[in-house]
Amino acid sequence: MSNFQRITSIVTAVFMLGFAISLFIDPKSGYVMVVSVLGIALIGYGVGTLIYFFTMARHMVGGKLELYKGVILTEFGYLAYSANDIPRVYVIIYLAVLHLFEGVVEVLRSGEAKSQGGHWKLKFFHGIVDFALAVLCIIYIRKTNTAVFIYAIGLVYSAAMRIAGALRKSAIVYDDSPVT
Amino acid sequence: MQQDFHYYATYAAAYLAGYSHEECMDICYSAEFVDHCSATLLAKIEGPEDAATTQLQLELMDSPMDILGIMEMTRIWSAFHFLPYDLYAEKKWATKIYKNKYRLICKPNGALLAETVNLAKGKSLQAVGLAMHVLADTWAHSYFAGTPSQVINNVNYYFYELVPEGDGFIEREIRFRHKKSTPDDIENGLYSNTLHRGIENSVMNLGHGRAGHFPDYSFARYKYLPAWDNYKVVLKDNPKDYMKAFTQMVYAMKYLRGEYTSFELDRYDTEAVEPYESRIKEILEKRQLDGCADWKEFCQELSGETIEDFDLEKYQDEYLLAPKPQKGYAFLGKFIEAAYSQKHMVTDRIYKSGNRLAGISLDIKGKKL
Repeated sequence: MSNFQRITSIVTAVFMLGFAISLFIDPKSGYVMVVSVLGIALIGYGVGTLIYFFTMARHMVGGKLELYKGVILTEFGYLAYSANDIPRVYVIIYLAVLHLFEGVVEVLRSGEAKSQGGHWKLKFFHGIVDFALAVLCIIYIRKTNTAVFIYAIGLVYSAAMRIAGALRKSAIVYDDSPVT
Repeated sequence: MQQDFHYYATYAAAYLAGYSHEECMDICYSAEFVDHCSATLLAKIEGPEDAATTQLQLELMDSPMDILGIMEMTRIWSAFHFLPYDLYAEKKWATKIYKNKYRLICKPNGALLAETVNLAKGKSLQAVGLAMHVLADTWAHSYFAGTPSQVINNVNYYFYELVPEGDGFIEREIRFRHKKSTPDDIENGLYSNTLHRGIENSVMNLGHGRAGHFPDYSFARYKYLPAWDNYKVVLKDNPKDYMKAFTQMVYAMKYLRGEYTSFELDRYDTEAVEPYESRIKEILEKRQLDGCADWKEFCQELSGETIEDFDLEKYQDEYLLAPKPQKGYAFLGKFIEAAYSQKHMVTDRIYKSGNRLAGISLDIKGKKL
């Protein structure tokens, strides 16, 4: 990872943390912000797909599909951005199902890793945390701010992972003599 | 390629190159071990995890899809399974980001192959075995790249097997499915592959995952549209290519034993193999999921020795129990040293070509890190 990539990663993480904190402080207006951010993310994904087409996928067999995908995703992004008044309960149900699925996958993977003698505890922990978040979503389904808090927790977690990734060593260092 | 070729065929090639039975066993064990030496296994034997020569499915699924995860995958899969053919290849109108992937496409007889073989010269038998794995895979994994990439490694519905019938072949469309738990069905042309995910760096787009295990079968003859070749159909003839891999291994190992002064690309020892050619062809063309039994029988007839089956556990305790200063002398210690050298060399070459996909390679002597 180059220094520029490290700095970009850390700056993005700081913004994510700032956004998460603002959501904890003011969850009511935060809900509109969350849906807006999701819409913007979709637009970003659509535009990213279009860039992918023009820089890479146009050389690929069947690459035009990426062009169509980019256009459609961008359209959906605009749609989501303009429809941010959907009932909050749907967002909470979506989050609950998402965390439940991730929890099951992580716990299954940890079991597989354990059977092969690999690292499994962290995976198991992630799985349990996901389960707990899913349960919280269901318990507090009538609490309107729950979706915002869970989204904010997810942001904090992603930001922490970004910072950890940026600080990881990436150069390849070997203790044998250099290849000439 | 599979165990039948990496273990048994490598044994036969080593024997024909003049190695003793015991030496052949060490070489073929090391060649096969490349497909098993994962970070998980290394953690188990308390070895250095960055010497991994493969990644388990579980590890791949857990691998982060950020730049570091991609670099880790590229280092492993390019160095040991998909040796890049031309790190300076050009493609008209292509961007740098595209060419970085395009230049990692694996084909036989690239400049890096000569470097791989030369790197094993004067080194341990483990290094010889490891180099033979890399050499053999350049034939089976042609036209795919050892980095996750949709624009290079994707395949579509145009994928036909040429099934022998009478004096010729019939074309049969291959149907891919995503059931890893179900064995491939040769009779009905049903093979497992990875799911299509339209994400450039998805792990599903690593190597020949989109074509499943099919390119690894020695009997496979097929035609398809590689994602990168402007709608040109590629015809792949594995029995012919595997024979070339075998004869090239014999030549390469004769060079490593000192029979030749230099290693030349595109050179094959057909003379040594000629007395056994029809037998080997028969094994290669036999439509079966696993040719170990046939290869084993051939190898035992060839050397007159009993060849034990590959045992993954065989050398693990020796390494695990060795005192730290002695680990380098253990069988797996020598393998790990060879793996480091190969990974270092390939990463270094990719980096020096201006391509950062395998990470940054630093020479440690005389330089501040």
